[in-house]
Amino acid sequence: MATLSNPIEQNEFRNHFVVIHPLDDAPETKVDTESLGPMPMTMSVRISLLSLRVYLILMMLLVLYHVLDMAKLFG
Amino acid sequence: MSDKALTFPAASPDLTPVRGRVVRSRWARDLLTFLMVFGPGLIVMVADNDAGAVSTYSQAGAQYGTHLLWVVLLLLPVTYFIQEMVVRLGIATGKGHAAMIYQRFGRWWGLFSLIDLELVNFLTLVTEFAAIDLALNQFGVNPRLGVPLVAAGLVGIAATGSYRRWERTVVFLCVLDLAWFAMAYTLRPPAAAILRGSFAPSMPPGGLTADLIFLVIAIVGTTIAPWQLFFQQSCIADKRLRFADVKWARLDTFLGACITITVAGCMMIAGNASHVHGFAFTDPAKMAADIGSFSGAFFRDAILLLMINAAVLGTTAISLSSAWAYGEVRGWPHSLQLPWRKAKGFYSVYLLSVAVAAGLVLIPRAPLQLIILGVQVLAGVMLPSAIIFLQLLLNDKELLGPYANKPWNNLVNWTIIIVLFALSLILAAQVAAPKLFPAAQA
Repeated sequence: MATLSNPIEQNEFRNHFVVIHPLDDAPETKVDTESLGPMPMTMSVRISLLSLRVYLILMMLLVLYHVLDMAKLFG
Repeated sequence: MSDKALTFPAASPDLTPVRGRVVRSRWARDLLTFLMVFGPGLIVMVADNDAGAVSTYSQAGAQYGTHLLWVVLLLLPVTYFIQEMVVRLGIATGKGHAAMIYQRFGRWWGLFSLIDLELVNFLTLVTEFAAIDLALNQFGVNPRLGVPLVAAGLVGIAATGSYRRWERTVVFLCVLDLAWFAMAYTLRPPAAAILRGSFAPSMPPGGLTADLIFLVIAIVGTTIAPWQLFFQQSCIADKRLRFADVKWARLDTFLGACITITVAGCMMIAGNASHVHGFAFTDPAKMAADIGSFSGAFFRDAILLLMINAAVLGTTAISLSSAWAYGEVRGWPHSLQLPWRKAKGFYSVYLLSVAVAAGLVLIPRAPLQLIILGVQVLAGVMLPSAIIFLQLLLNDKELLGPYANKPWNNLVNWTIIIVLFALSLILAAQVAAPKLFPAAQA
């Protein structure tokens, strides 16, 4: 393997492209999510998400009932 | 393309040197970059055609012929748009979806999302092993021997301590899935029927029945599943894709979407072949035997092997999405790049998911086809909720900056969410008032 620490080789690669696999590349700086903290949510967004949660639980129970019904568990 | 490799010295003693390949032209650079980035998009899409999908699509073909081909075709842009959002989120944050929900929505919502994911994933894994059990039975192999062997192989491919090794193995399995094209070509109905079914939606014979609605929701649920959001984002984070890779990751996702939708159509065509020959559908393994009775044992064996391959692909992707999500939330080391001893919690969740699901299907008989279909429907009704969190994250300008959704993205996504909600409401109405829609003709 060559190394770019050698100036002659650097010159040799000047008119070429170097492709680096993401796993071999130096780590990239990403969005600092930790410092952002939780997303500010208005009361209406909170209520909407809560309604969504209730709806989802009801739907899960409904699907369960329907599958059991199709399996003839309720006669 | 040159085969020269070079190493940049590490910037500091703590970092490993950067290795690269040298190429001479722009097209070679683009091709090689794409090949290096390629993987998560293809895998998430092809793994989506898992055992449940084989079952659901072939049932759709067996019951309704080519009439529902347009449904899967319509899902091509839907599945791409949803997964493309995950690509942006994963590359911008370098973190998984579960971690993002925890950090931006707080512990309470994060916990709910995680429970939803782990529950549906576990049920889906049971269906994967149920399909393997069915296929092995058709082959005459004792599932008590075959299922644990498959489970052990699944643990083996993930626990090598190398992301690349896992990815290459899984991409190879994805390529095997292309055999569905040959299968569909041989079993194809007239081209006119395929074109009509794909581009001219019409009501199947029997009209709008409860079974038809249930099946359409199952098709949607199997084509776009909540685990895909978590899987692809974590996979992108694990592969450490960079901002410069966004366009290649999008292309990877788009190609994956095209392949998965076309393969889904091929599965419907296989189901249609058994329908045309007058066989009633019970499960895909039985369908393989039925097809084998008129087209030869080779076709029977090929469909059974493809079914096992689909289940294996689905299992590794779904178990990984569970393990990554749990690892992210618990703050455990969670990377396929780590050896077992350095990520014990992460690999234990993967192992446990595979082992318990494999163990469950070895317990006496259950209506497997009904369980498979039920799980797809459950995934379908839970999907809008998962997409809403995704939609909120993608509109978080503080988090994503220029990678946040554009107005047209939001228009498309809200349309998808509304359609998905409408479908789940139709299901609710149909369950609450069974006489609302006529039952299917026997």
